Amino acid sequence: MTVTTKAAAAQRAAGVPLLQAEDVTMQFGGLMAVNKVSMTVNEGEILGLIGPNGAGKTTFFNCLTGLYKPTKGQVRLSGVELPPKPRAVVKAGMARTFQNIRLFANMTALENVMVGRYCRTSSGAITSILHGPKFKREEAETRARAQELLDFVGLHDSTEHLARNMPYGNQRRLEIARALATDPKLVLLDEPTAGMNPQETRQASDLIFKIRDTGLAVVVIEHDMRFIFNLCDRVLCLVRGETLIVGTPEEVQSDPRVIEAYLGSGVEDEDEAVDETDGPGTPDAEDTP
Amino acid sequence: MITFPPPVVAKHSPKALPIGLAGAGLVIVGSLFSWSYDPQVLGDLSIALNPGGLQIMAIALALLAVILLLAHKGPLAALGQWADTERGIHALADWTLIFMTLVVVGITAQAGGLINVEPGCWISFLGAVLLFLASRLVLAKKSRDLAEAVLPGWVEILVIVVIMAALLFGTAYALGIADAWVFVLFLVFVTGMAIAGTRAGLLSWLGHISLRRKRELILAAFAVAFCFPLTQGGSDANMSIASQVLVFAAAAMGLNIVVGLAGLLDLGYIAFLGSGAYVGATLSTSGFATIGWKPPFFVVVIVAACFTATLGLIIGAPTLRVSGDYLAIVTLGFGEIFRLTMFNLDGNNGPDLTHGPNGIPAIPDLTFGSFNFGDTHILLGIPIARFSNYYLLLLLLLAFIILVFHRLNTSRIGRGWVAIREDEKAAEAMGVNVFGLKLLAFATGAFLAGMAGAIKAHQDVSVTPDQYIFLESAFLLAAIVLGGMGTIVGVLVGAVILKLLPEKLRFFADYRLLLFGLLLVLMMRFRPEGIVASRRRQLEFHEEDEELAVRVEGDIAEEAQA
Repeated sequence: MTVTTKAAAAQRAAGVPLLQAEDVTMQFGGLMAVNKVSMTVNEGEILGLIGPNGAGKTTFFNCLTGLYKPTKGQVRLSGVELPPKPRAVVKAGMARTFQNIRLFANMTALENVMVGRYCRTSSGAITSILHGPKFKREEAETRARAQELLDFVGLHDSTEHLARNMPYGNQRRLEIARALATDPKLVLLDEPTAGMNPQETRQASDLIFKIRDTGLAVVVIEHDMRFIFNLCDRVLCLVRGETLIVGTPEEVQSDPRVIEAYLGSGVEDEDEAVDETDGPGTPDAEDTP
Repeated sequence: MITFPPPVVAKHSPKALPIGLAGAGLVIVGSLFSWSYDPQVLGDLSIALNPGGLQIMAIALALLAVILLLAHKGPLAALGQWADTERGIHALADWTLIFMTLVVVGITAQAGGLINVEPGCWISFLGAVLLFLASRLVLAKKSRDLAEAVLPGWVEILVIVVIMAALLFGTAYALGIADAWVFVLFLVFVTGMAIAGTRAGLLSWLGHISLRRKRELILAAFAVAFCFPLTQGGSDANMSIASQVLVFAAAAMGLNIVVGLAGLLDLGYIAFLGSGAYVGATLSTSGFATIGWKPPFFVVVIVAACFTATLGLIIGAPTLRVSGDYLAIVTLGFGEIFRLTMFNLDGNNGPDLTHGPNGIPAIPDLTFGSFNFGDTHILLGIPIARFSNYYLLLLLLLAFIILVFHRLNTSRIGRGWVAIREDEKAAEAMGVNVFGLKLLAFATGAFLAGMAGAIKAHQDVSVTPDQYIFLESAFLLAAIVLGGMGTIVGVLVGAVILKLLPEKLRFFADYRLLLFGLLLVLMMRFRPEGIVASRRRQLEFHEEDEELAVRVEGDIAEEAQA
């Protein structure tokens, strides 16, 4: 397991900005789901996004990836402004996974990852019908790359398995492999360890380190604090759609406002990770397109 | 992995085998005698020791029963360990009894009284009853996994050849049947054989073979289709039906790209076939054609296809962004608009392009160089007449459409379509061009229909608006749903059923729609994925069926090996 040393973290925190989101605001009628949130992700950095349920984390992700058109604000990747269109965002180099797994259930693991290659391949209808050398080469490359990614996330045994038959933890890995297949510079992971046991969680953080080590930046939404503080170079805490604090895990961990936001002030509460659903006011990714 | 409960240890009733064999024997013996005094009834069944068509069917049913019985517990047990003989015998006995009952009813109805049923028929009927009773004494047993049943390559190829030959002669025979009762009984026979084969596991074994030997199977299928005109001995009556079936199948195959692959509901597809036909007609050398430009036919086909594809783009571009239901309504409207436009471009309400309701008649036959499609040509000593010529041309077109369908389906584009069907939002988020792919499906479907339409115009001699009504679109869609969305074989089967049956069952004409409605309702209830299910569609329709998912995985692995 890779250990994030303080020095390395500091270096990355001061690195080249990859993703810059400025004053992103998302308003649903009278509800301010995301209010003027700015976020910078540097190259090769792991950034954690935390916040209580209903804080607007997933909504913010949807704004970044073009599933929602933000009411205000702009998102730039490597200095280029991203249009709020999912396809353009993927093409520009930002891929994501979903909070509730959204694999193509009746396709095999390999096919799922091959779909991820779609935006990096170009065989059109006529090329496909002619079945010429270009088509065959590209198809073979797609297949090889997909297999490579399955191996990378540790699913080499499940190539021909249907996504819907795979165990939960493997489905999460497959979703990550599918996102990686789009050749991103930055991956956004929405609760990658939701519903996992401690051992699976550990494997997940190993995988995220491994992804980071290939030079990608990672943004992670999580509720599991131990997981996030071990993993991330920096952490951003969202509360009621607004940025509460951005800083190193130590800074965020020791900030009394964060504890208050999660536990409430002076009231005994059971557990921080109560439920994975967002609050009643905030539409989920799957509810409102 | 799912574990299945251990099979109940079967105790075979000792009486089942002798009773069953006796029953099957009686069916065969009875079939050798006369079934009816009247040679006019149900074909000719009146001559002893010279079995007519129905009697041969009865003998075939009985022989299969004998084989299954002996395989269940007897000298053929080595064969029986692979097959689920118990379920096979059950189904076969049921259908033999249905068959014989219908024969008795048929003779009674046609000859006017039960008295016309001869002893031979009663013997066979009694045999069927005995077989039915025996089948209830046969108990369940466990059979081995057919995926392990690997025979030498030449045996598998031989099986394919035999099946294709049976298909060829079966179709030729079915087309030649003049009597509706005999045709119905033939359908009962085929259904009975098919169900018994399915239950016994024969069909799933064939499925394994076809997974391993796709290439041979496809070649054999096309060889058989090409040979078909040769079996007609120069008669063009059946070829007329067959070539209409092919036009219908070609259009259904094109629609299958839109509906089966991209998952878009198109209720006005016939308009694309129609526009192709109108382009073909107006650019033909017919004296009624309204456009002076007379290019050679292959140019006409391309023009028709491109024109139709453009129409598809015009309809698709504004509507494909909305979800399924809206698309269905817009395409439904488009189909009607097309028909009404063709109806009204008659010189009174607009430019005279289509002669309105009169259409464009007297379209001459196609000519490629000196080869005129209207003439009779001699091939291998057998005359090939007008409709046979069109049949062969349409077969080429169908092969082309199937090629397009298959190659798109197995390409990056096909994967994109599946992803869109599975989860449009996720597909979009993974960079799949959802709108573009939907539009592509729509335009490709239209393009192929345009080609088919241009040929259809020449084959039909005239083009009128009332050939392209909504009902035709509905039938195309029904062929796909009935046969199996997204499959090649299924849609061909569906097209043949929906086009051939009405031709042969003329006396049902008034109830045709009622029957098809009923058929579709039953299909939706019992087998929503269609007669020949596409693996993926089957999974989509049975989200909860774990066993199916495991089985499909096994098939995928087997295919990957082959």
